[in-house]
Amino acid sequence: MNSEEVKIGVYICHCGGNISDKVDVEKVAEDAGNLPDVTVSRTYTFMCADPGQELIVEDIEKHGLNRIVVASCSPSLHETTFRSAVVRGGLNQFLYEHVNIREQVSWVHASTGEATAKATTLVRAAIARVRHHEPLSLIRVGATSRALVLGGGVAGLRAALDLAVYGLPVTIVEKSSRLGGQVAEFGTVFPTGESGAELVRTLVRDVSALEEITVLTGARVTGATGYVGNFTVMVEQERGDGSTEDLEIPAGAVIVATGSRPYEPDMGEFGFGQFPEVVTLPDFIQILNETRADGDLTVNGKMIRRAAFIHCVGSRQIEGIQKPKPGRPLNENCSRICCTATLKAESDLIEKFPGVFVYDLYRDIRTYGRNHEEIYERASRDGVSFLCYEPATPPVVTMAAPDDTGNLLITVKDNLTAGMEIEVAVDLVVLAVGMEPADVGPLAESLKLPAGADGFLQEVHPKLRPVEMAVAGVVLAGTCQSPRDIEESCASASAAAVKVAGLLTRGHVDLEPYVARVNADRCEGTGICLSQCEYDGALKIVESVIDGRAIRKAVVNEALCTGCGACVAVCPTRAIDINGWTLDQFEAMVDAMCADPVEVASD
Amino acid sequence: MNRAASTETVDTLVIGGGIAGLQTALDLADLGLQVAIVEKEPSIGGKMIGLSKVFPTLDCASCITTPKMAATAHHENIRILTLAEVESVTRHDEDFSVRVTLQPRYVDEDLCIGCRLCEYACDADVADEFEGGLSAHRAIYIPFTNAIPQLAILDPMECNLCGQCAVACPTDAVVFDQKPREIEITARSVVVATGFETTPMGAKEEYRGNEIVNVISPLTMERLLAPHGPYGRVLRPADGKVPDSVAFVQCAGSRDRSLGVPYCSRVCCMYAIKQAMLLSGALPFADITIYYMDIRAFGKGYETFFQNASAMGIEFVKGKVARIDEAGDRNVEVRFEHIDELGQVEERTHDLVVLSLGMLPAADLRDRMPISVSSDGFVTVPKPTIEPCRTNEPGIFVAGTAAGPKDIVDAIAEAGAAAMAVSGYLKKREPAGDAVCAVSAGMEIR
Amino acid sequence: MGTDRILILASAACAYPGADAVGQAHLSYPANTFVLRVPSPVVFPESFYYDSFEKGIGGIIVMSCGVECPYEGAYEKLAARIDRVSLGLKEQGINPRRLKLTSICTVCTKSFLKEVADMNSILAYEGAET
Repeated sequence: MNSEEVKIGVYICHCGGNISDKVDVEKVAEDAGNLPDVTVSRTYTFMCADPGQELIVEDIEKHGLNRIVVASCSPSLHETTFRSAVVRGGLNQFLYEHVNIREQVSWVHASTGEATAKATTLVRAAIARVRHHEPLSLIRVGATSRALVLGGGVAGLRAALDLAVYGLPVTIVEKSSRLGGQVAEFGTVFPTGESGAELVRTLVRDVSALEEITVLTGARVTGATGYVGNFTVMVEQERGDGSTEDLEIPAGAVIVATGSRPYEPDMGEFGFGQFPEVVTLPDFIQILNETRADGDLTVNGKMIRRAAFIHCVGSRQIEGIQKPKPGRPLNENCSRICCTATLKAESDLIEKFPGVFVYDLYRDIRTYGRNHEEIYERASRDGVSFLCYEPATPPVVTMAAPDDTGNLLITVKDNLTAGMEIEVAVDLVVLAVGMEPADVGPLAESLKLPAGADGFLQEVHPKLRPVEMAVAGVVLAGTCQSPRDIEESCASASAAAVKVAGLLTRGHVDLEPYVARVNADRCEGTGICLSQCEYDGALKIVESVIDGRAIRKAVVNEALCTGCGACVAVCPTRAIDINGWTLDQFEAMVDAMCADPVEVASD
Repeated sequence: MNRAASTETVDTLVIGGGIAGLQTALDLADLGLQVAIVEKEPSIGGKMIGLSKVFPTLDCASCITTPKMAATAHHENIRILTLAEVESVTRHDEDFSVRVTLQPRYVDEDLCIGCRLCEYACDADVADEFEGGLSAHRAIYIPFTNAIPQLAILDPMECNLCGQCAVACPTDAVVFDQKPREIEITARSVVVATGFETTPMGAKEEYRGNEIVNVISPLTMERLLAPHGPYGRVLRPADGKVPDSVAFVQCAGSRDRSLGVPYCSRVCCMYAIKQAMLLSGALPFADITIYYMDIRAFGKGYETFFQNASAMGIEFVKGKVARIDEAGDRNVEVRFEHIDELGQVEERTHDLVVLSLGMLPAADLRDRMPISVSSDGFVTVPKPTIEPCRTNEPGIFVAGTAAGPKDIVDAIAEAGAAAMAVSGYLKKREPAGDAVCAVSAGMEIR
Repeated sequence: MGTDRILILASAACAYPGADAVGQAHLSYPANTFVLRVPSPVVFPESFYYDSFEKGIGGIIVMSCGVECPYEGAYEKLAARIDRVSLGLKEQGINPRRLKLTSICTVCTKSFLKEVADMNSILAYEGAET
């Protein structure tokens, strides 16, 4: 690399004032422009916008630049943006260095002088590092042309169908004995009023018709290894005779569609577990579906004349008011579906048993979806009586006095009547329980899948990469990511499927080149590096005989090396480094950070 | 200007270059399909590119949108047509024949280098709609900082024909007599991603949104909050005063049968809370009030966002605003009925009021293509539960807010789903060769 | 010169986004902080720490992912190395508190600020001593 003359282009972004209000970007650019080998140093309002990127492309062509530094926002937002600009200019994308002067400078430092000085130093360090960058190529690995879908609920079925129709083989792994998940048990579903069981039948029929799809029911994942394009998922499947069979399924990508489960109220939460007439919404829907319209609606042998539905049970929990369950965080999120599902159940109840009087105890009615508001209006028309409670004063369910009209007494401060304490006697209390993530199982541990503070699996970014996980090749479908209704689950499932299709359609996957590499001239074959490596097969010592002498050298398997760098730190001869993150680079940056401080103008 | 225009065949024509259309196009193009985006505005980016920061992560909107815009513009499988409106989509056997009118830019797209010398030479000022009319641009101008394509456009209604722009232009790109052109595109599939418009400011007469200057739309507030907005800070439009008291009126265009908008617009609670949070950062001493019926913070992380806003001291008043009037000193009087205090009526005066407008479909395409539209005005989706992007016409799909209000997160997920649905549909139609380009004569339509 | 400078070795998966989160929340901390983004701080040999102090770095905060580390066994190896370097520093008469190993998650804004504040008070104390 040293034979080539280094020509560095430096670009400082204003970010439309986000940076330039705190950092004197012109000064930073001027300082950089005076450093050796810096051919171009400029500022621009929005480097990420097209004209900003084009500046880089044009300067590479015009000035023969061969190293590029951009100081802007966090690399998580725009490192790839500028790399692609560098490529359009005809350079290798890894001859690029990104400096974060927004999240880590202009947004965190109050003094303009200090922020400018720090930005200048960081740009100097980046210039020092970028000299050491070398062209790297992506590592191309073959990809297994099969997707594994974990979970056979509607989201899993939707994703599997999409990929199979697209032409990719799919294996669905479902732990229960049947496909369809919770939707099959919903009765009719909002907003269309279709039968949930019928929806599932449609999907299952389509799935069965496609030879690309293999369905494993009664099957659970016991572990997984590998990486994008080349996962192996271990599955244990129950057989008819009670024994189990162990399977190893190769898959290029994994779609996690493990879904959610209804929140299980605590003993005594709104009388749950204490009084048999307190049931959850899924239980109530089942009771309602199983009762004939010409009979009486009974629970625990008693006829139901008055029922109360309580919203936000296990959702929108607030620290200090609700207690988390052991080992679980508070469910702070809204569960999205319960408002509409509850109102629909109330109308279904009244329309099937017109004599029943219904109370609805809510915090906010969240019928947000298309044609959901109509369900709210329908419940109001059907005569549901609404009471609004504050989270700090939730309704209290107790046993009613013997002469009351119902078995249970609900006491609630009602916002709609100026916070008056109201007592209603009812025969039935239905708890609109929220959603909790279902257990993902050993897959999560084996592949180190990140979950958010709420326990749901975590996407990389809700808008930039909404269905992808930080683990390449693993995508999210449905309610394992967050609460959502059937429509939203299917949309996310198809969005996940299209990412997998994009990944596997070419038969290979290109991986980042940040893996260990050995300088054979320096390597003395001590094997100390090997003692530090945790990844089977990633590093080995190869012995060969040259001129009658046995020579030992370390060799890296690029597809298995994760680039953690554990080997780098222990090599006595500095013969091993991580591509793109070499010790020389880090040392050059520290040198630049320790150089004379940048002049700080007082504010 | 009777230039020959190309007639080409694409796998998918995406109508609309907002965030949903861009995501659909990107996902399709990544599968190797040839995509054309037809955008009626001079730039892609849709509504999102005009926003300040977006909930619940408070990322700057432009930082999320610009990479997707740039990726679309640079993708070898995507072609973008701006100032382009779909006139008709007609089925011919399995394909669609799409007639598109290209409105004149009065600037040659191949010659313009986006240097803005024309803009500096022009002395006709025009209210800048992108900035909510709060600032001005010239009669010839680049639409906004991050516009893609970065090409000037001339507004013939405001141009005083002085010719200075043409003199200043280093590439002779200004073409005063450019005419609309019509082109025809053959598409194997179509995605409707035409997006939304906000409900009109004047829709609810009692709120006098079009009369009182210090009653503004949420998109104007977005621009006031944007770091590169019209004033660079939050000032109220009537007199440039820094507001001490700002109120948001929720459901100002939604959940109201009298407006013909009975549905919830899904985003207004969250954008109002977000704007309130940004305001309390920009104006630490201002009182901020949100008048609401129900707070609908239903998405991932949204409830926490709402709780944080409450903890920051933003006042949430459960009440329905009955009317809005101008008070002294150009202030705004809000008369509302408490929902939580036995319907007691109260008046409060604020310096600035934002009407949290709802969403209306931006386009009614019924007469132009064989799809149907539901009573709410949005594209009909016959099987929303398990096929959320399929319309009643095979080969035509829908993504984003064209199929009903939704936030950015949901619109982007749905855009991916639309891409999947399209690619599955096209696979079923195979064998079909790669998209081929044919050239025929275009025609002048005026 | 430069004894007041703090070098932060931040893991790309956790601590670096954590530092970004501090910025996104528009919280504030002193500007004598220089973040180096690394796949994992396990990459640095013992000599890197000694050399950095030698070059004039005042304090080093190693911000790893801790037990959340995406690389197997890397955190344990890192922790053992930092222990060894701390002993070595002590032998050289350098206050071992100028090197700190901590874990910072992607939303650990408060911990990030605390670590920076703590290191600054250690450095201020050192400054007063000399």
